[in-house]
Amino acid sequence: MVAFEVPEIDYTRYTNRQLAAVPLAVLAVALLIVGGWYVATGAPVDPGLDFTGGAELRITVDAPDGQAREQIQQTFDPTPATIRQVSNSDTYILTFQTEEVGISALEEQARAAGFEVESSYSVSANFGSRTQGIALGGVAFAFLGMSVLVFLMFRTFVPSIAVVVSAFSDIVIPVALMNLLGIELTLGTVAALLMIIGYSVDSDILLNNHILRRSGDFYESTHRAMRTGVTMTLTSLSAMIVMTVVATLFGIQLLAAIGTVLVFGLATDLMNTYMLNLSLLRWYKYEGVAN
Amino acid sequence: MGKIRDNWRIILLVLVLAVSVFALFSPTVGGDDADAPGTASTGVTNLQYGLQLSGGTRIRAPLVGVTAEDVEFGDTEPPQVERDVASELANATVADVIVREESRTSGTVEVTADGVTPAQLGTALDDAGYSYETTRDGVTEDTRTQTVEVLSNKINEAGLSGGTVQQITTPTGENFVLVEVPDESRQEVVDLVNDRGNVRVDAYYATDDGSYEQTTVLERDDFQSIGTAEQGGEGQQPRVPVVVREDVAPTFQERMIETGVAQQGGSRCRYGAAPNSTDPCLLLVVDGEVVNSFGMSPGLASGMQSGDWAQDPRFVLQTRNFTGAQDVAINLRAGALPAALDIGPDGEGTSSFIAPSQGQQFRTDSLLTGIIAVFAVAGVVFLRYGEVEVALPMIVTALSEVVVLLGFAAGIGYPLDLSVIAGFIAVIGTGVDDLIIIADEVMAEGDVNSRRVFQSRFRKAFWVIGAAAATTIIAMSPLAVLSLGDLQGFAIFTILGVIVGVLLTRPAYGDILRALLTR
Repeated sequence: MVAFEVPEIDYTRYTNRQLAAVPLAVLAVALLIVGGWYVATGAPVDPGLDFTGGAELRITVDAPDGQAREQIQQTFDPTPATIRQVSNSDTYILTFQTEEVGISALEEQARAAGFEVESSYSVSANFGSRTQGIALGGVAFAFLGMSVLVFLMFRTFVPSIAVVVSAFSDIVIPVALMNLLGIELTLGTVAALLMIIGYSVDSDILLNNHILRRSGDFYESTHRAMRTGVTMTLTSLSAMIVMTVVATLFGIQLLAAIGTVLVFGLATDLMNTYMLNLSLLRWYKYEGVAN
Repeated sequence: MGKIRDNWRIILLVLVLAVSVFALFSPTVGGDDADAPGTASTGVTNLQYGLQLSGGTRIRAPLVGVTAEDVEFGDTEPPQVERDVASELANATVADVIVREESRTSGTVEVTADGVTPAQLGTALDDAGYSYETTRDGVTEDTRTQTVEVLSNKINEAGLSGGTVQQITTPTGENFVLVEVPDESRQEVVDLVNDRGNVRVDAYYATDDGSYEQTTVLERDDFQSIGTAEQGGEGQQPRVPVVVREDVAPTFQERMIETGVAQQGGSRCRYGAAPNSTDPCLLLVVDGEVVNSFGMSPGLASGMQSGDWAQDPRFVLQTRNFTGAQDVAINLRAGALPAALDIGPDGEGTSSFIAPSQGQQFRTDSLLTGIIAVFAVAGVVFLRYGEVEVALPMIVTALSEVVVLLGFAAGIGYPLDLSVIAGFIAVIGTGVDDLIIIADEVMAEGDVNSRRVFQSRFRKAFWVIGAAAATTIIAMSPLAVLSLGDLQGFAIFTILGVIVGVLLTRPAYGDILRALLTR
């Protein structure tokens, strides 16, 4: 059996500043994107159907691709805001950002045109905006709760804030990526953002624990923490990549959305834990404590 | 003896697994709940599947209405208050105003018509001369409970098996009514739920000066029993046979004679064609709309004339088509909704419909997705450790967490949805993460030859696992509590998985590893 080993990185070659610069720069860019998005659109990330209100229809159309889209365009009034095909099947997912026509009317239009309605979903705008408030509050609460817990566990400022900053960056960077890739904020992606808080803190806590609470050389502790932590993150990452790909092929949007955002978050976490968090810890261990 | 004490964690895990498997497969568990509300159970397991995985319609919406609290009526009787308030409001009828007494002289006034604002209700109360404390959006608890009851009745009467109606209150204090009906298209459910279902019979007749008047002669409470809808025979319309209550029958009989509906030789209604020159008619009115009009047969008319009818007060309500007859029967039996659900284009609700075939498809697809994700995890773990002794128990342990959770879901009848499946995948993810921490810690630096070394290393590993578990629980708790629809299941099962993992499976994995390494 081929066992892979987590490679040992020679951290002595890089200064703390060099190590922290990369994740901080990425975080800054991400914050710029999210901030810019907020200024331009009034929301840090485009809210999806769950939050804006609207309707979604999943239909099967018995026609070759080019014609199917044309048929769909002609059938519906109002025309759908988006039309997405589920991985080369006859199934299309349509969204409507309108409230003028009820979902039942849209279903009827679809049936009248000979399409088969597989599922439909509608959210009123009022309900959606309230849901958005609750969801954002939930993410904020989760983040605050996590921060308090981390401070209680380590009881020292620098290591705790290192974890909190990493976790913050682990959320902001995926959000910026969502903006760039046009992924909307849905209930699924909110769940994924909360999951990131849970997952990403694991490897940070592991690293802090190894360096602060164990005897032994800093680099040795780091390497041991990395062996475990990187394995952990890679396992989760592979599970999520597979889940995203498979769920996308099957057209299961909820699972695909959770998977995509978690892949972003876990990848970001690798960078943040072993560059940002590590540099703060090394500074704390060699300079912070001495003073 | 020593063996048992040393391995009690493994034994406990095996026991819990056995219970879970029992809950999953035993026909004695959850058998009675096979028709549990809003879910469908299938095949060999006792698992219940939610809407997304079995198909059906779900509607979640608040009730339409505004309420004034602490209204002082003085000596006025509630029905009079209802009339007074209704007359001050342009788009509400008496049927839309509900007065509930809290004491002899005060209580709440609700208006359940669409488009009435709290401010308008306030003005109407002022104009009608009643003082009140506050007005607000929403209806009272009593109205909500009553609505839920009536809706449940309606769904049962309509024969939509397995449908449920529930009232949910969010932690932020908002109230919603949740209707779930498996295997049914949205339109049928919406139609059923949307009708207030207020059925009455009016008499339509010419007064002395020749103009026509319409007055209510029968309401829902006036019926003693309501038959099932019948197809009309030759030349006859579909009908619902009813029996009028004995104490009401004489009055009704008298009204029929007075208005001329039961005139000599019966009446031939031409309400549709010539409303200004027709014989007296009976009008069947549903939610304020005349759905049918009919006259009276000579036989029945003479029965009324002679007074015999009131001895055996049977009557038929005629409708234009059979569906209409069914609707009337359902509405009469289930009662009228005190308030409607706020669905529709500018409503406040959500609705979803999933075709049963789609639900089936999602069920297999999501199961496949989960299995493939497990294979991915297993692949990475095998690649990393290269030792079957370490990796295999890891996968088995992580899967046992899922089995325990599935057993739990089957035991309490929690319906599985896509979000719960996502939760299972997340549980495998965090589970394996923690097992990796244990394995790495225990096997660090040289062989584990003594039990003491093992124990101390295991304890160190457990600190990190506990801390990680605590953060996951904190992060997921908002979703578990907040009513964010689909995601509650995801959060609940992720949290449960973490708890089961920390208390049960991960310690057991430690024991398994020790048994394998300290041999």
